[in-house]
Amino acid sequence: MIHYVLRRMFLLLFVLFSLSVLTFSLSFLFPGDPLNNLSGYQEITVNELAILEDKYKINSDYLTQYIAFLRRIFSGDLGISFNSQAPVFEQVNRIFPATVELAVYSLLVSIIIGIPLGIISAYYHRRLPDTVILTTTLVGYSLPVFWWALLIIFTFSLHFGWFPSSGRIGLVYEVPHISGFILLDILRSDIIYKYEALRNALMHMALPTLVLTTYPTTVLIRYTRGSMLNVLETNYIKTARAKGLSPFQVLLHHGLRNALLPVIRLIGLQFSSLITLAMITEVIFSWPGVGRWLIESIYQRDYPAIQGGLLAITTFVIIVTITSDILYKWFNPVSRTQVDGKF
Amino acid sequence: MLLLDIRNLTIELRSGSNKIKAVERINLSIKEGEVHGLVGESGSGKSLIAKAIVGVLNKRWKVTADRMHWRGQDLFRLSRKKRRQILSNEIAMIYQEPSRCLDPTSTICEQLMESIPSDQLDGNLWDRKKQRQSRAVALLHKVGIKDHEHCLRSYPHQLSEGYCQKIMIAMAIAKKPDLLIADEPTTALESTTSAQILRVLKGLNQLKNTSILLISHDLETLSDWTHTVSVLYCGQMVESGSTEQIFNRPHHPYTQALINSVPDFHMELPHKSRLFALEGSIPTLQHLPIGCRLGPRCPYAQRECVKVPTPHKDHNHSYSCHYPIDYSQEKR
Repeated sequence: MIHYVLRRMFLLLFVLFSLSVLTFSLSFLFPGDPLNNLSGYQEITVNELAILEDKYKINSDYLTQYIAFLRRIFSGDLGISFNSQAPVFEQVNRIFPATVELAVYSLLVSIIIGIPLGIISAYYHRRLPDTVILTTTLVGYSLPVFWWALLIIFTFSLHFGWFPSSGRIGLVYEVPHISGFILLDILRSDIIYKYEALRNALMHMALPTLVLTTYPTTVLIRYTRGSMLNVLETNYIKTARAKGLSPFQVLLHHGLRNALLPVIRLIGLQFSSLITLAMITEVIFSWPGVGRWLIESIYQRDYPAIQGGLLAITTFVIIVTITSDILYKWFNPVSRTQVDGKF
Repeated sequence: MLLLDIRNLTIELRSGSNKIKAVERINLSIKEGEVHGLVGESGSGKSLIAKAIVGVLNKRWKVTADRMHWRGQDLFRLSRKKRRQILSNEIAMIYQEPSRCLDPTSTICEQLMESIPSDQLDGNLWDRKKQRQSRAVALLHKVGIKDHEHCLRSYPHQLSEGYCQKIMIAMAIAKKPDLLIADEPTTALESTTSAQILRVLKGLNQLKNTSILLISHDLETLSDWTHTVSVLYCGQMVESGSTEQIFNRPHHPYTQALINSVPDFHMELPHKSRLFALEGSIPTLQHLPIGCRLGPRCPYAQRECVKVPTPHKDHNHSYSCHYPIDYSQEKR
């Protein structure tokens, strides 16, 4: 197992290395002067030029430049944004938790809803509950997320007025920024209107989470159902039934564990599409996350910001994917004790 | 008293609009303490019969029978739940691929422990786990596994097929069943292990008086220690009777062919001579011949054979053939 984790870590390092090479090369591929793209200073005076050229080693060979680039990344310097002239790293650091929060809550909701529904659907295979669930997931699966989001806003916030349509928390509440995860921050802060603020934040969160969770939930339902059906056909389930265990016991002791193993892996794989969907959702709900920020940077050709945002999001997705791989291995006794070379 | 008594068991496969009779009108009866062999080539429906008895066939198969009595109770007339209860308490089954019948994600210990019924345990709730554990160890010893600690800790994929089969037997006998259905228990094993398995089964029969329905395609293992044998061909019962009758005086041409096809190495076989086999091959389920299904391959077939033969009964020996092999002339 340790061997496997080490191998995965090596893969992680390798992928991160290629990612850094790609990001580094972007500043040369983007139009404009590489020095501008790297540093974020648009108008460079003669005095600054000498300092910056020295800092970015722009006159040396590419390898030296790349090493300088890596050094800057590790010291948390991603240049400054063209637009705001503020350091990119700090900006990313401040808004990234908002995206993670949205994505993680949606994923949690989709796991809580998706897996039980998938199991129910498999249990009532080809009967009414199964048909109803399958049809619903087909609809959810094929809804374009932007349209679905607009539909939800029209219904719940414009027509009924139950939920706010944009933002993360009402303007009247002032929550100190500690970790960036708003629910945590509210709970940890010692403001007097804590519970009102919490309620308000949850209200703001409801609609984006609902929209974002639709796709992963439907995928999870369908996948869990398929996986469960496969497991229910296997011989060991038949043996367990022949042993005289009740259907519930069979499902709990033998069905679930085997059926959920491939689902763990699926969750890891789905994470990247979840982040992509989160960006769209953020734009529609004006959620102050890294997705919306990145899309705005792309519109404004803010190259240092694009680089920084890409680096952050991609690193996050890669780490999540590899973690889910390791978790899968950890929970699966068959592959846990297997020798190398196999998954 | 008859333990299991089945009359005219038919198993149909519904595929599209037409029905295929994979097993046609089979009679089977097993007495208490008897070892009954069920022989047939692969695809003859042996496993189907076993699965139909235990009731684990999936919905595509339709099982009908004139009667299916277990200790005088008609299983088909009982409610589903009641039937399930009888079957799981009194009939146990072991399969031909033991490692696939064990849950890959839980340890042998967990699987063995859950197959021990709680009414066999006494004492308080908190003692039960310990009791179960010691029962599990005892079960493993019974089937001839000595290093129980290592075995209980392992997952199925860490053990060999032979071990898995022994564990399957241990799980099967945990309930002290009256009938053990062994569906080709030794096909996946090499010969020394399969001998061990057969010895375990034989011991069960002799010591605990457990009846065994042994399904196999290997005539030699059957001839050794079964009391009665039924021979299947393409889902039809061709002959059944005591082992002695079947092997010494087969009345059905197919049984005779089966026995002849066992190579006898004591006899001097001429160099490069052909071993005996029936001409042709087993028909597929989609193209079953009408009447006696052996018809096209039978050396004695005549026009009459397009009708399904009715079983003849001669003492306990029954055979379905229009032109059975006659031993009366030999006697003279």
